[in-house]
Amino acid sequence: MTVSRNKLTKKDINKMSMLSILEQSCFSFERMQAPGFCLGLLPGLKKIYGDQKEEISDAMKNNMDFINTEPHMATFLQGLILSLEENGQDRALIKSIKTGLFGPLAGLGDAIFWFTLLPISAAICCSLASGGSVLGPILYIAIWFLGAISRLWFGRMGYNMGVGAVDLISSNASAITKAAGILGMMVVGGLIPSYVSLHFAETLVAPGGVSIQAIFDSIMPNILPLGFVFTLYWLFKKKHVNTLMLIILIILVSIVLSFFRIM
Amino acid sequence: MQITLIQGILLALLAFICACDASWEAFFWFRPIVVAFFAGIILGDVQVGLAAGAVAELSYLGLLTVGGTVPPDPLMAGMMTTVIAFTTGQSAETALGLSLPFALLAQWVGIVCNTTFAGFLRPLDHACENADTKKFTQIVILGLVIKAGIYALITFLSAFALQNQIAGFVNMFPEWLIHGFEISGGLLPAVGLTLLLVVMLKKQNVAYLFIGFLLMTFLKLGNILPVAIAGIAVAFIGYLNDETIKKNAISVGGGADDDGI
Repeated sequence: MTVSRNKLTKKDINKMSMLSILEQSCFSFERMQAPGFCLGLLPGLKKIYGDQKEEISDAMKNNMDFINTEPHMATFLQGLILSLEENGQDRALIKSIKTGLFGPLAGLGDAIFWFTLLPISAAICCSLASGGSVLGPILYIAIWFLGAISRLWFGRMGYNMGVGAVDLISSNASAITKAAGILGMMVVGGLIPSYVSLHFAETLVAPGGVSIQAIFDSIMPNILPLGFVFTLYWLFKKKHVNTLMLIILIILVSIVLSFFRIM
Repeated sequence: MQITLIQGILLALLAFICACDASWEAFFWFRPIVVAFFAGIILGDVQVGLAAGAVAELSYLGLLTVGGTVPPDPLMAGMMTTVIAFTTGQSAETALGLSLPFALLAQWVGIVCNTTFAGFLRPLDHACENADTKKFTQIVILGLVIKAGIYALITFLSAFALQNQIAGFVNMFPEWLIHGFEISGGLLPAVGLTLLLVVMLKKQNVAYLFIGFLLMTFLKLGNILPVAIAGIAVAFIGYLNDETIKKNAISVGGGADDDGI
């Protein structure tokens, strides 16, 4: 039996990208984003195969394997898959492209959205909000609304590039990740003095009448917050301490320092 | 301050909407700065919401859901930091430390859902077998609604039903204990930033961390945007250099081939 395939329009791809908002619904540890990922493909598959139930069923099953990628960029992969389905590519090939790309895409998306856009937008909007301006959260919502809209663009890009996407991703992922790393580092470096607050009580005085805090400030302002961050880094990296234990420890130590009027 | 029944219901509704977005990670309404802002509006005290949102957002900055892990819940942290600051009259920094048990409870809910929703995969696979797209969609939405519903319920119980108990408990605290929580509120953002560093820091880019730190320490900038722009400039220079090196390497390689070596 020959399989007939209908063409998708730009509108169908946009619909897929909008549906991809649901990508992480029904997330489970077993196959992670598979249900939501497959859900986003359904209208497109229905359009391509019409009432050929057999084909829709096979295509759905093909997308129910483990997948965990960055939700904004999942649309890239979904667009790519629909373009391959539309052109009647072999399903084993589609599956292997999908499996090969979701990892690199997750790395790329995490670098862009979670490690660059999130710290920068949070830093700018928190400084507005802590100054008492409603502009802080409103700007934050606006920035991330644009972020959410970017999925339309990623979806179209994946669909238009088809098989060519594989080369593009593997050749450019490292350059983008590297640039995002530099930018992210500068911002995190700037956030440390802005938001980590660590100073000794003014009543705490060294022999001779100089306050302990003044001594540290004369070495370099904000040296204590910087040192504190690197201490935590060392604990995470070398001692592999548990995040939760560390948070509880910080609260306990803060209370002890407060009790003895050290801070 | 008291939270009324209407406010409790509205907070639960807010938690429901934001919890849907927490699953999706689409509009970032699950982040503390947004949750606390809307919670502040519902409670009629926007300033409390802004302060709570700012301090909670930064503390939960590095606690990312990247790679399917489940960290203490930023949504519930933003919600309860606001609620506790509102009902007890304590500062946002103090309320942040006190919101931790609620963030942990929500984290636990997340883990339980992520585990039990594996049970939904069998009916989903069955729907695939029959090409039953309608059934498939319904099951996925059901998972979403169950999880968000639990968030709404926890929020209603903690913010409305238990508010007097929580406020009474906190108001028993001596002054040094409150100040201790305030200190920890100033230190916890360091955990968020450090967790970012654990993922991002490499020998190749550690220098940029110090440049950012020095810019911010000595230039007295109002916000981080100038540092970010400097970062983009530096990253662009690095990118151009890499391109040049790549091109040179290709032309050198090509020349060698021509010589037949």
